[in-house]
Amino acid sequence: MSCKEKLISHVMKEEPIGCTNKVTVVGVGMVGMASAISILLKDLCDELAMVDVMEDKLKGEVMDLQHGALFLKTHKIVGDKDYSVTANSKVVVVTAGARQQEGESRLNLVQRNVNIFKFIIPNIVKYSPNCILMVVSNPVDILTYVAWKLSGFPRHRVIGSGTNLDSARFRHIMGEKLHLHPSSCHGWIVGEHGDSSVPVWSGVNVAGVCLQTLNPQMGAEGDSENWKEVHKLVVDGAYEVIKLKGYTSWAIGMSVADLVESIMKNLHKVHPVSTLVQGMHGVKDEVFLSVPCVLGNSGMTDVIHMTLKAEEEKQLVKSAETLWGVQKELVL
Amino acid sequence: MSVLQQLITPLSSAEAPPPRNKVTVVGVGQVGMACAVSILLRDLCDELALVDVMEDRLKGEMMDLQHGSLFLKTSKIVADKDYVVTANSRLVVVTAGVRQQEGESRLNLVQRNVNVFKSIIPQIIKYSPECTMIVVSNPVDVLTYVTWKLSGLPKHRIIGSGTNLDSARFRQMMAERLGIHSSSFNGWVLGEHGDTSVPVWSGANVAGVNLQKLNPDIGSDGDKEQWKATHKAVVDSAYEVIKLKGYTNWAIGLSVADLTESIVKNMNRVHPVSTMVKDMYGIGEEVFLSLPCVLNGGGVSSVINMTLTDGEVSQLKKSADTLWGIQKDLKDL
Repeated sequence: MSCKEKLISHVMKEEPIGCTNKVTVVGVGMVGMASAISILLKDLCDELAMVDVMEDKLKGEVMDLQHGALFLKTHKIVGDKDYSVTANSKVVVVTAGARQQEGESRLNLVQRNVNIFKFIIPNIVKYSPNCILMVVSNPVDILTYVAWKLSGFPRHRVIGSGTNLDSARFRHIMGEKLHLHPSSCHGWIVGEHGDSSVPVWSGVNVAGVCLQTLNPQMGAEGDSENWKEVHKLVVDGAYEVIKLKGYTSWAIGMSVADLVESIMKNLHKVHPVSTLVQGMHGVKDEVFLSVPCVLGNSGMTDVIHMTLKAEEEKQLVKSAETLWGVQKELVL
Repeated sequence: MSVLQQLITPLSSAEAPPPRNKVTVVGVGQVGMACAVSILLRDLCDELALVDVMEDRLKGEMMDLQHGSLFLKTSKIVADKDYVVTANSRLVVVTAGVRQQEGESRLNLVQRNVNVFKSIIPQIIKYSPECTMIVVSNPVDVLTYVTWKLSGLPKHRIIGSGTNLDSARFRQMMAERLGIHSSSFNGWVLGEHGDTSVPVWSGANVAGVNLQKLNPDIGSDGDKEQWKATHKAVVDSAYEVIKLKGYTNWAIGLSVADLTESIVKNMNRVHPVSTMVKDMYGIGEEVFLSLPCVLNGGGVSSVINMTLTDGEVSQLKKSADTLWGIQKDLKDL
């Protein structure tokens, strides 16, 4: 008898149930791995699958995570370039694709990433036809639209990480200005994840106190406190980090884990994420932009209807038109 | 009046109190950042400081972590190449230094890293004379000795990450063969963190059931089940990961966060970490090797006296001799 047979008696006759809360991360670059480690350290899944085309790197990353199993509560960590390893995932996080170079805007990446998605999305759908797709790759709003089209999923199961990160950056800077923790500083950035994101100044508040009531100039050019600069720092934030360290990873990884948490734990929490906004706020085209959405284990079930100023709605419509201008040229 | 003044009425004019659980990570390479993120995501410190000589990279890493502050419970994250930013740290994790190249053994890195440490350690002590230090840079056992010499700190406040990671890998691989979670498999790998680490087969157990009693050949060459291969896989695993992805970081980061937790929360948990072992097991030199140490807020409070076989003791002695052979030739300590 082997050591194992002497030590352990298997007493269950049925097949083991296996994992019931599986998350897949597609892409083991810096963003994919930061998302993976954040998800693991928050104990969000009982199985984590990783996929990439770079086989050695994928195997090395999976081994490195497995070696930390003693310190984690995720029983199974697997990886393969074959998508069969992703079967039965509850959430699939897509980080694969080319990344922004220094100074490059997100829209420039489009066609390169569309071609990559034409391979990825059908494979995901094949093995996890009921999953929730979370798109992170940039330009995220366009690629969420692309993922929606290629997957054939209903719109509530295709979510873009959108302005969840922009809003987190905004709240961090606001927190520094007011000497408060970001979780006590409320502010929403909506619309495009990128250069034309929209800060909803009228909603910025602490403990329900609307800051724009205290400073009616907030967000405008003439504001002596220059709050508009806070939004500019958010827009420039990614470019600055890229210039300094070559890429961004930690903040987006934590932001992804935050969204995955709301889904896996069915929290019904409201997050600014990218969803189909056709018919809202005057948007006519079939585009995805970030608005406050309720996330739970079914996916994105409800949208909070914001009261936006005319100027803010105009910005959303303008973003939608820019995105549609790019989307209609895409070969899907 | 500014928004801040209208919104908030201060009640206390006292200065904000200094941090109680400040952690500094020296080195923002892959290992340093994995340690930093693991420590942050486990809510282990109220302030995190990062230091490195590469200023742009350092600033970029700091900003990237700060942008995630909404999702964290560490309200202050700072970074600078000037060590003043590390002042009043409770714990300092040293990951700085050059990393193993593919195929290079840990011992080959020595003199390169000693020179780096000569610029780091005195600065750390200057600003945090009461801190406890965890040395991660390789070869860890030698560099923990170097740190002890350069810092002048008492030996119980210098810890080498040692075989905490080797033991974690050992437990994961053994547990996988048995179909259980690593935390349910108890096994210790001691001695040198590296090629000559010592798996203590006589202690390996699950639920108190000693595996060597079930299989007296366990760990020997004649063992039909070849359990020895599992330890070999542990020794080879770092090299394998380096060959595949260029470096290792996640497992060591998680392992360091585990040690950090015991220290910061004053837990008195036992970990296999590198400590000064002179006068134990017949070792006559001032070398650092991993033994089961009780870690708490003061550092290493005690060492567990393992019952080792003669073979295991002579392996430890052999490691000690090898390490001393290198240490005695180091210049300017």
